[in-house]
Amino acid sequence: MILVDIWEGTDPGPEVERFCEMWGIEGTILLDPDASYAQQLGIRGVPTNVLVDSDGTVVDVGLVRIDELEAAVARLVDR
Amino acid sequence: MNDFPLGAACRVDTGVASVSVAEIPVGLDPEGVAVDSRRRRAYVACSRADYVAVVDLETNTVVAEVTVGSEPIDLAYDAETDRIFTADAHSDSVSVIDAETLELVATVPVGMYPSGLTADHASRRIYCGNSLGSTMSVLDLDTLETIATVEAEVGAGAIAFDPTRDLVVCVNFIAASATFVDTKTWEPVGRVDVGSGACAVGVVPERGDAFVVNSLAGTVSRVSLDDFTVQEELEVGRAPVGLTVAPARDRIYVSNRGAGTLSVLGVADRVQWAQLPVGEGPGGIAVDPADGRVYVANAGTGTLTVLEDRLAGAPAVPAVEERSPLIGEKLPAFSLVDFRTGEKRSSAEWAERKYIVNFFASW
Repeated sequence: MILVDIWEGTDPGPEVERFCEMWGIEGTILLDPDASYAQQLGIRGVPTNVLVDSDGTVVDVGLVRIDELEAAVARLVDR
Repeated sequence: MNDFPLGAACRVDTGVASVSVAEIPVGLDPEGVAVDSRRRRAYVACSRADYVAVVDLETNTVVAEVTVGSEPIDLAYDAETDRIFTADAHSDSVSVIDAETLELVATVPVGMYPSGLTADHASRRIYCGNSLGSTMSVLDLDTLETIATVEAEVGAGAIAFDPTRDLVVCVNFIAASATFVDTKTWEPVGRVDVGSGACAVGVVPERGDAFVVNSLAGTVSRVSLDDFTVQEELEVGRAPVGLTVAPARDRIYVSNRGAGTLSVLGVADRVQWAQLPVGEGPGGIAVDPADGRVYVANAGTGTLTVLEDRLAGAPAVPAVEERSPLIGEKLPAFSLVDFRTGEKRSSAEWAERKYIVNFFASW
């Protein structure tokens, strides 16, 4: 999973650091401070998950609830 | 308002369900919002800017910014004393602003990390949910004295009151529960487990219903105010975070932070009538009782959406989220800075892999 931080409004560094510490988040975190990449994808809210297949095709968008996400990931793995 | 860019992750075609009046830039991370009908103003707590934006609703512009404590999250307005109140999460206090002079007139200490605020104008009380203190502070609206500090549960935040049952409902985000408090004794009289991430609540006393927004579960729980049990779970949009009962009490509004929409739910049929597009990352909601206009604070865009809800009732066709036009398309390439290393990372690194891109914000 790649996390992309958007819409902080201020310097995202300290905010992301605090957030990751609070929730124990590890792994890749990318910064999209002006949300231009998110805008390109039409992202209108957070959190939003975008599932991508090995050929680069988007197979699902949204999926905030754990049960929905788990089911979508299972489908992606089985493809 | 309906002209979203191609590729919107969630767009709901609402036809004439709503009319966008304005989208007003207000400041960083706006959360709580209240309307001052007499002055034709809205007050918005901009939590990352540490001020209250004063919005003139005739010109749809911010006419003042009043500095309060650190990270004001929720906000209330009391017409009788003509005061604005903010719950300042990082200051452990409630700020009090004179709405005439727009000066800070008092700072009242409350519990740790206050994040919810609700004024009971008739009883002259204001309730504050202290998330890390796991308590609810009860303040006198006129004297600003602390009347009681009531034990709730961890993540105590949003609050609603039922004057017909002498009851206050405080929802607890981290505990995923609601605490019911008797307003005669200030003692908890019940609790109920709700969905995860409980963060907003509203009541319809004549039906005996409390509606609790569960942001992580993605639902709204309908809870009985008589026996404190969950009656059903209602469907709304992605990552719901805010809720307001319409003045006519025929519908509730729920802001969907993950979808950039506002759900309209019928109180009688408990059906989602529509999802109305608002700004990005919406949160706090207020309705002007004078004209029924709906105000939504959008944390993502830093704006206040003003809209007219034109729904007379449940539409013939129920609300359905539109499938994202991204699905089936190639993910656009990206090149973004890695928070940990400071180096640019491109989508080419993940080529031929299956992966998830999770867009998030820390607020």
